[in-house]
Amino acid sequence: MTKKRKRQEDFQKVKLKVGKKKPKLENATDTTFKTKAIQIPEQLKEDGVLPTQNRKLNIKDLLSQMHHYSPGVKHNALLGLKELLSQYPFVIDAHLSSIISEVAAVFTDKDSSVRGAAVHLLQFLASKIRAEQIAPFFPLVSAHLSSAMTHISEGIQEDSLKVLDVLLEAYPALLTDRSMILLKNFVELISHQQLSKRLKSRDKLSWMLSVNPNRRVTSQQWRLNVLTRLKKFLQAVVDGSSDTEDEGLQEQKDNSHSVRHPICISWKLHANNQQHIQLAGSLRPKINSTFRLRSLTSVMDSAEKGLSSAENLKSFIEIIIPLLIECWIEASPAQSAPILGNLLESESQQLMQQVLSIIHLLWKLTKRHDETYKMELWLRMNYLVDFKHHFMRHFPYSLQDSVKHKKKDPCKSNRNCMKSSNNIDHLLLNLTLCDIMVSLASASTLQTDSSWLDMIRKFVTDTLQDGSKLNSKQVNRLLGVTWRLMQIQQNKVATETLIKAVYTLYQQRNLLFPVRTLLLKFFSRVYQKEDLRTQRIRSRSKVLSRWLAGLPQQLALLGLRNPELSNQLIDIIHSAASRSNKELLQSLQATAARIYDPLEGTLVVLPPEAQRRLVQLVYFLPCLPASLLACLSRCCIMGRMSSDLAATLVGILHMRSSFAGWKCQVQDNSVNDVDYFSFLFSTLIGFSREELTSLQGIRGKPHISQTQLSPIRLYLTDLDQFLHHWAVTEVICHSLSTIPSQSQCFDILQTGICKYLVGLVVIPDSTAGSVLCAINKLLDQACIISENLHRFLASCCYSLLYFLLTIDREDAEHLQKRDMLWRSCISALALLPRLLRLMLQSLQVSRICREELPVVAQLLRLLMQHGQLRSHMITNEFLVQQIIKDIMTLKSGEVQEQWLTDLHYCFNIYLASHPQTPGPINTVY
Amino acid sequence: MAAPMEVALVSDAAGPLCNCSVWELHSGSALPGYRGGNSGPRGLALLGGEHLLGAQLGKSYINVWELQRKDQLQQKIICPGPVTCLTASPNGLYILAGVAESIYLWEVSNGNLLAILNRHYQDLTCLCFTDDSSHFLSGAKDCLALVWNLYNVLQAEPSQIPDPRHVWSRHSLPITDLCCGFGGPLARAATASLDQTAKLWEISSGELLLSVLFDVGIMAVTLDLSEYHMFCGGMDGSIFQVDLCAWPVQRDRTFQTERENGKVFKGHRNQVTCLSVSTDGSLLLSGSHDETVRLWDIQSKQCLKTMNHKGPVTNAFIVLAPANMFNPDGKPSVPLPKFSRHLHGTESSDEPGAEGVTLRLGLHQQEPGQSYLEKAERMYSQMYSTREKNLVGDQEHLTIQVSELEEEVSNLRKINKDLFDFSTRIITKPAK
Repeated sequence: MTKKRKRQEDFQKVKLKVGKKKPKLENATDTTFKTKAIQIPEQLKEDGVLPTQNRKLNIKDLLSQMHHYSPGVKHNALLGLKELLSQYPFVIDAHLSSIISEVAAVFTDKDSSVRGAAVHLLQFLASKIRAEQIAPFFPLVSAHLSSAMTHISEGIQEDSLKVLDVLLEAYPALLTDRSMILLKNFVELISHQQLSKRLKSRDKLSWMLSVNPNRRVTSQQWRLNVLTRLKKFLQAVVDGSSDTEDEGLQEQKDNSHSVRHPICISWKLHANNQQHIQLAGSLRPKINSTFRLRSLTSVMDSAEKGLSSAENLKSFIEIIIPLLIECWIEASPAQSAPILGNLLESESQQLMQQVLSIIHLLWKLTKRHDETYKMELWLRMNYLVDFKHHFMRHFPYSLQDSVKHKKKDPCKSNRNCMKSSNNIDHLLLNLTLCDIMVSLASASTLQTDSSWLDMIRKFVTDTLQDGSKLNSKQVNRLLGVTWRLMQIQQNKVATETLIKAVYTLYQQRNLLFPVRTLLLKFFSRVYQKEDLRTQRIRSRSKVLSRWLAGLPQQLALLGLRNPELSNQLIDIIHSAASRSNKELLQSLQATAARIYDPLEGTLVVLPPEAQRRLVQLVYFLPCLPASLLACLSRCCIMGRMSSDLAATLVGILHMRSSFAGWKCQVQDNSVNDVDYFSFLFSTLIGFSREELTSLQGIRGKPHISQTQLSPIRLYLTDLDQFLHHWAVTEVICHSLSTIPSQSQCFDILQTGICKYLVGLVVIPDSTAGSVLCAINKLLDQACIISENLHRFLASCCYSLLYFLLTIDREDAEHLQKRDMLWRSCISALALLPRLLRLMLQSLQVSRICREELPVVAQLLRLLMQHGQLRSHMITNEFLVQQIIKDIMTLKSGEVQEQWLTDLHYCFNIYLASHPQTPGPINTVY
Repeated sequence: MAAPMEVALVSDAAGPLCNCSVWELHSGSALPGYRGGNSGPRGLALLGGEHLLGAQLGKSYINVWELQRKDQLQQKIICPGPVTCLTASPNGLYILAGVAESIYLWEVSNGNLLAILNRHYQDLTCLCFTDDSSHFLSGAKDCLALVWNLYNVLQAEPSQIPDPRHVWSRHSLPITDLCCGFGGPLARAATASLDQTAKLWEISSGELLLSVLFDVGIMAVTLDLSEYHMFCGGMDGSIFQVDLCAWPVQRDRTFQTERENGKVFKGHRNQVTCLSVSTDGSLLLSGSHDETVRLWDIQSKQCLKTMNHKGPVTNAFIVLAPANMFNPDGKPSVPLPKFSRHLHGTESSDEPGAEGVTLRLGLHQQEPGQSYLEKAERMYSQMYSTREKNLVGDQEHLTIQVSELEEEVSNLRKINKDLFDFSTRIITKPAK
């Protein structure tokens, strides 16, 4: 039934009747809305307009104009391009490939103004485009550059050098990648191949210098231009292949290319789980070996390797060096003007300079290779004779003559050091020559080379000796030559004169800082080398020892003026001291008093890192006399050293003292026990005797805490000073506690306190705390404390406790002291029952000290509440009772205040509630 | 003794009665000690499971006991000066001793003094072998720690001093202790110094891995066998545990105050001089200047046992007990020879061939066999001769070879051309 009914509901028949409106369907569309038309005059354009420059030309127009036949149009196009790109830099990114290809194409344009504009544009572009952006287009650029360099027209060749300049400035690495082609171009610029039959038979092509009369400049000038660029280029090659090498003093660091950075951690952070060490997985054991299965460079094609392969380098050297020698011969004075001797014209001098620097750079490149020795032999075999003949004949080249002839030079005396007017450093020229020649010699060839080596040695020695105004570059080169000379000739006589010459330079007063650093490095290297030899055959250079011995003096004199230099000095001193160099240790001992002077010594003025090194140096001092220990103690106290460092110092002295070693070992007695104790004691006290006496005069509230019941007034120290003193105290206490015979140690301390502190009226709070702390630490059963000390300590205790209980709540500075002082007082009272009794006895309350009564009551209450002290308080019940009675009598008749009720309550709870033991105690008193 | 047993060997500076006391680690039962003299710091060494060596404190000789005969001294090795540190190689073949600033290397089998190494500038403080005896480390008061390759040292010419493999100069105060981990030449080594740092190095590359800066000078350092922890004994008597393998996972730790002290063993009152970890990494033995030796449980950092001594403890280490220690009848397989005081090779230059060892495989072989040294030399010369031959080359042989090779090349060219022709024919055919 139900089903049927439902079906009927679903499909009800709509009955339509005549005259009635047809009901609307549910899905009928409502057509009542109205529309309006929108007019769009034009479509939205996104890409159409490219930015344009002044003359309404966009990038495409400009680039297409580059193909125009008229040079004027091209010139304008280039100028316009520069203008456009400087206005809209983003265009560069979008059109880089077309820009570069078009600009590079006009390197070889016939018109010079176009080329000039192209160079300008390139210069502008170089500042905008990064190396990695241009890298994909660089083959194209360099191809155009090559074609410009090898162009038949001289103008284009000349301008190509400008292009090279720009590229070398901006993208040295990219340019040196294609060194082989470029080097060949260089050679072709100044020479041509000799195609005579005689030479053709040999497989090698020989090159000779070319002279082209059509050029606008003289051929010498032209060569100079080319060689300057070649030098720049080689410099880029040298810089690119290793940027870490130190030029003059070749730091022969074993190439630890992948030095892992060690994890450095401080224990405190590690202990607090703030720093973690993960050593297992990440750090696989590494094997440091120079062995390679195959060299990384050999993957590349040999032609691509450029100068990095030994073969290529050799062949290039074979080509270029004869040419350079020819250049030299033309420029050299003997040829052009034999009468004038060593007169050097500026241009030819520049040329010589370039020649030598190119050779020098080539030499440097040869040293990169594995078989340096073989290479050197080869060089020596081929070129030594030529070099000797041409270069060394007029060896010390100078400007002297020309200066004399032309005009009176006012500063003739230091001609060596001045750059001459035409910007040539002829000293550098000479030094470069020395460098080149010296690297051709070696220890085995000493006999044959002695003539010219002597000449060089003499020159180097002379230069060093009057070289007060050398700049760092010259000194670097000079020291390089010196080092090599010393390597070659290892006998003592020869090296000694050289070292002496360097030492004369070192002794000059106003050297520049980099020069000084270089000299220091040189000396420390010489020293290390000397030290490496075995003890038996080690012969010390006298000059070197003098230099070493002078270092501590210099350090002391230097003071705060140059912390960096001080650091270097400290480094060298440290390494020499750790090797127990006798001379150094002696002079260090002599200057120790000045270095460790507490007022203006080096130790206190330098930054913390240097301080640490200086403190460590103390360990190596051969002898620590009492005066030095006094200085060190003052340094510790004064707070110019951090408390950590003071702790280190105390630790080091402990190691040096006789208490750290083994009993049976022979003691060197460098630290007297008495001195050591006085060091510990004065550091513990924290104030010198003068300071203590000057404190006695101070009166008044802000600095002094004073109580009627104790003869001792407390001087309130600053919080910084207090914390420092407290940290030092803890270290000292530990040092004292490790001394084997405790009771003797305690006796010494006791005597010290009785002698220096008992009887003083004003005592710094930190000192009082420290004394209590030390006594807590040292006290054991065997110790006997004198009556004097007991009384002193008791008054100290009460003064301290009174001070602690009267600190203002707001006084944040003194509040921090509370815990430390409270702890030391309480533990002293707990350790020494007699101290407690004396203190209680001294609490003779009377009318004078009525305002102190609440404090006394609070103190008693706290003492009674304290767990450790309770038993002692019980033994002194009688005294406590007495005091309370006194207080009651003084307070009687007035309103009972809160503190009084508290005191009563405590007394009843803690003391009066122990009736089981009163009998024997009461009988005692 | 079925199970391997660990014993602790302890010596102190003032024990004339008993130089070196021995006790079983887990039960704590004392075994008879070795008598006579007293050993200096880092001067006690077990040699090959058969002998015990102890450098006499302040005197220039080394005491030697056979392990099974505890009551009396067997031998004294006279040295040129007071021995500051002593160690024996784990394979029992070499002995190293530091005398002033030189390292002396003896061969155990014949007592020859093989090398004297003078690369330190001040007195030596500690010496240590890697577990495979291939390298050894030395630390001295000149702040340097050197790593030596034993075989380089042995092969060096007597006239020249061999170079150490690495020179570690990153410490700024004297080295106080060395410890070498597990893994032979690939091991890690820990150095401790008075400059308040302990550093961990890698022997293979010589690089510094880790440097931990403490508040006090570090006097002793040791690593557990798995190198999970490094233990550093400080000058103030605390022992610090550095976790070398901590994951930086921070779980909620509510008891932060308790955790703070969770890495320090506190108990010694004076400087800790020696540390040693048991094989299973659960127990730590420490000796101190306060004349006690303590045994700690590493997990809970509690002191399990305290042994009082008469003087500052100079040596305390845990070893697996050698069998000879308990076997009164066991004798060393080879008696210890007399140790020479002069450098080997300088005095016995009478017969050059006398040094070579000859191994004879049968006594019936009458003619004397070549010594290994001679054999090696012969082989060496042979190798060189062939190499030179290759270098120089006789002309005829070379020309023949060249002609052969040229023939080969032309042959290959021909084949190549055939191949090329064939393929071009195939390729060009359908294009027609």
